[in-house]
Amino acid sequence: MKLAWIKGALAAGIALLPSAVWAQSVNISYLTHWSPETVALLEQAAKDFAKDHPDVAVTVRAVPFGDLLTTLRSQAGGQAATIAGIYDLWLPELARDKLVAPAPETVAGEVKGAWPAGVVTAASVGGVLYGVPNEIDVYALNYNKALFKEAGIEAAPKTWDELKDAAAKLTKKDAGQQGFGMINSWAAGVVHPFSSLLVSNGGELVTGGKPVLDSKNAGETFQLYEELIKSGSSDPAMGSADANTTGPFLDNFVSGKTGMIIMANWWESALKAGMGEKFADIATAPIPVGPSGDKPRSISYSWMTVVNAGAAEAEQKAAWDFLAWLNSPKSGPNGASAMANILMSMGILPSRSSDVDAFKDKLGSEFLSGYVSVLGDAKPFPVVLGGQEFSESLQQTIEALQYGKVSATEAQTNAQADAAAILEKAAK
Amino acid sequence: MTRTHQHSVWMMLTPAVSLIGAFIVVPMVLTVWLSLQDWSTQTGFQTAEFVGLDNFREIFGATSVGRDFKGALVNTALYTLMSVALILPVSVGLGLLVYQRNVAGGNALRTILFSTYMVPMIAVALVWSKLYSPSEGPINQMLGWLGIGPQPWLSSPSTALVSIVVLNVWQQIGYFTVLVVAGLTQIPTSLYEAATIDGADGRQQFTAITLPLLKRTLLFSAVIAIINAVQVFEPVALITQGGPVGSTNVLTYHIRRVGIERAQGGLGSAMAVTLMLSLIVVIFALFAFARKGDDE
Repeated sequence: MKLAWIKGALAAGIALLPSAVWAQSVNISYLTHWSPETVALLEQAAKDFAKDHPDVAVTVRAVPFGDLLTTLRSQAGGQAATIAGIYDLWLPELARDKLVAPAPETVAGEVKGAWPAGVVTAASVGGVLYGVPNEIDVYALNYNKALFKEAGIEAAPKTWDELKDAAAKLTKKDAGQQGFGMINSWAAGVVHPFSSLLVSNGGELVTGGKPVLDSKNAGETFQLYEELIKSGSSDPAMGSADANTTGPFLDNFVSGKTGMIIMANWWESALKAGMGEKFADIATAPIPVGPSGDKPRSISYSWMTVVNAGAAEAEQKAAWDFLAWLNSPKSGPNGASAMANILMSMGILPSRSSDVDAFKDKLGSEFLSGYVSVLGDAKPFPVVLGGQEFSESLQQTIEALQYGKVSATEAQTNAQADAAAILEKAAK
Repeated sequence: MTRTHQHSVWMMLTPAVSLIGAFIVVPMVLTVWLSLQDWSTQTGFQTAEFVGLDNFREIFGATSVGRDFKGALVNTALYTLMSVALILPVSVGLGLLVYQRNVAGGNALRTILFSTYMVPMIAVALVWSKLYSPSEGPINQMLGWLGIGPQPWLSSPSTALVSIVVLNVWQQIGYFTVLVVAGLTQIPTSLYEAATIDGADGRQQFTAITLPLLKRTLLFSAVIAIINAVQVFEPVALITQGGPVGSTNVLTYHIRRVGIERAQGGLGSAMAVTLMLSLIVVIFALFAFARKGDDE
């Protein structure tokens, strides 16, 4: 009798509980390296998603970019974030180590139909799609129009000779001003601008899985760096970066101490925040063409969101549902996805074709249009096994050249030998 | 010893021995075992493949793996040497200063000195990265007032490691000063009184009484300072990322990059074992040196 009474009371209590308590039964987390302002936008999107999906709760975790890969690897398994935003260079090894789950057929079908083929390839390993692509980044030459005017330079340099000439004119050692900025202490910040100059000189980093840094084109690119450093047009001490991919290299460009720099579109928000009204002085131009190049080219890379292969089945399903919604044209304003809306707040180019159409006007701004215009001729940074180690090794060699520890010839020899050993070992 | 007595000894020792075994001996043995394997940190131990001393050959070899490791080993040694060389004399100097009980404000000075040790490294790193800023940093601005040109600090491979050492010494000096003050309180004042009667001046009292009787404190300080210095990680991870040109790439940061980011568990373990052996050798050498001094 007493037991029956307790059961009845429990049943009544359960019936009285708000339905939402029962509905929010799946908790998923999203790991990113975005700033607090951008994380707030993502959290808002998660709240919007929860309106139609009360059974799913999404929490956002943010770490500095420098800690993102370590966090992904060290927290692998059931305790790791359900969703993570990753750099395409990391995907082959994360997929090999079974840390990320293949996309379900519905998501894969949608992605293959709605994104450009090159971006889909970068989010796939062995033909299997692992992530929903979101951003695409490309490198271009940013220059300070006010400093150009002051130095009597009328247009952005189109060739390497013009680049060296402009850099020399923009350099004022007494005023602590350098003509051309080179970044150090951050692998992508060092390697991507170098690679952009290399491909604009008709060269490649890797062909058929093997490094080709011993080419004439690469030799000329190392030579260009050496000349810019030796002439004093570039001061490596002004180019340090920290774990948040900010630091002196950004401070010096923002404060008008650097005339030109090769950087990706995503730093628009950092420039706007640092420069205020003076951001109007910044313009974008294609990468100058080297003596062995035929046209301006650049390096591009993409980011994607992946789902933790160690997460429970219900969590994985909820994660893919959330990603499908977040990247769909229904989740954002005017036919754009909520993800594209978040990316555009940082000046990052979305990669979904319908998002590019939806943000046509904004992508036509003076700063971003320069990036959009070079996207067509951009070459994707090679996504290979051992890519991160290869990138860090090349970073060390380029930095050694920047600081005069090795000559251009030695840098080229070291870079090729190291890259060959790293990629050969990784391929095994 | 009776059987009951033996039984109770084992009963008392078992908890401590089990804990030490589980949390210290097993991980150490495991690290040594992994250093002889080819193993990805993302896979189970069953996937490890025995490669003998190949990992050690590679980290001391001529490839980029070897160059980076040897560079990190040298950086760590230099960092440790500079840290200890600065911390010991400065802490003795400050200890003598704040030990003076009759000086007004002595307690406040002790508190201020120790407060830097309580500041989290994340805050220290953020503040010092701005202090060191080549273009807008207050340190360069102050040097400018003295007519000294801007210094590159963290932006140059020749000054970056020293800049990190200064940051480390600034943060830890309060702790080591407290150790020295504790050591000074153990020295009987009668020794100084007797020395004064015998006509010894301050310098003679310092070299003949203070320093010899502070020896054990300084030995302890040196051991702790070495261990702390070898384990330096946060300022490198937060500010320099090991750069520029790998000049601040210390071993803990490098092992994290190889073992976790690149998932090369065998190589990372070989590096960790080498670091552990180096530390053991240094600490033993230090104790041997101190013992030799005692014997003499």
